Amino acid sequence: MAAAYLTHHQKVLRLYKKSLRHIESWCIFRDKYRFYACLLRARFDENKHEKDMMKATMMLKAGEEEFWANQHPQPYLFPDSPGGTSYERYECYKVPEWCLDHWHPSEKAMYPDYFAKREQWKKLRMRTRPVINLNILE
Amino acid sequence: MEDSVSRMRSGSLVHCGSGLRNMAARIIARCVRSLNHRAVCLNSINTAATLTAAPLTHGRTFSQLTNGHKSPLAQISGSSFQVFQWRQYGDLPPLTLETIHDRVLYVLKLYDKITPEKLQATSHFMKDLGLDSLDQVEIIMAMEDEFGFEIPDADAEKLMTPQEIVQYIADKKDVYE
Repeated sequence: MAAAYLTHHQKVLRLYKKSLRHIESWCIFRDKYRFYACLLRARFDENKHEKDMMKATMMLKAGEEEFWANQHPQPYLFPDSPGGTSYERYECYKVPEWCLDHWHPSEKAMYPDYFAKREQWKKLRMRTRPVINLNILE
Repeated sequence: MEDSVSRMRSGSLVHCGSGLRNMAARIIARCVRSLNHRAVCLNSINTAATLTAAPLTHGRTFSQLTNGHKSPLAQISGSSFQVFQWRQYGDLPPLTLETIHDRVLYVLKLYDKITPEKLQATSHFMKDLGLDSLDQVEIIMAMEDEFGFEIPDADAEKLMTPQEIVQYIADKKDVYE
């Protein structure tokens, strides 16, 4: 997404996805969830050919309010997603890769293949580095 | 191994006390030696003490033997001795590009709006398969459920072919060839 604003299309798709996820949190049995998911899809499908943007925006606003009223208090979140249990859990162990240069040679000898390729990789990076011309103001 | 088990069953019912402990230790050492050479050293050290280490599935029954309990030995008979000397952490099998590709195509073939014959790795959802953007959202949600991690909306709206989905998952999960 390049621009700072979401298009109407993107907003509708996001509403669809999060309402499906909350229906999944409410309906724990899969067949019941499938039934209500199909009903929701039918509701989205009957209005998807709306050409009048004013009406479409009003419908989107009504849909967002309905979502807010019917959302699940503790929706199922994937562990790695924001709000999940494992979100940013391993961030403290993600060391920047320049630390590999500071390894002791005895430690580097434990991974000879990688460090042999690493020198070539660094040379390639120096060759293909994007040249930033500071004179041009954009 | 079966005859040693029956011997243990009959032997430990007759003896008790230190004789039972020696008998159990000898039989355990013999059983374990037949499985794993390395385990013998550990077991001969451990048998005098607690026997909780090596046969994890039968730790309770062996410790009961060393304590002199005449517990029913039916649990031992008919079950195999699993001697694990290494830690087992819970984790999924590692992903490879082929397995990701197979799983993605499998999930797509299960979707009823896609005909499995027309599905290729490079078939575009909108142009080749004639799907909607709402269908694409549903497909991405199925991929999230399959692989167990969330695909944010900004990335999800760009994934339009199965090959792109495989590439994205491989990037996120650090799978490379």
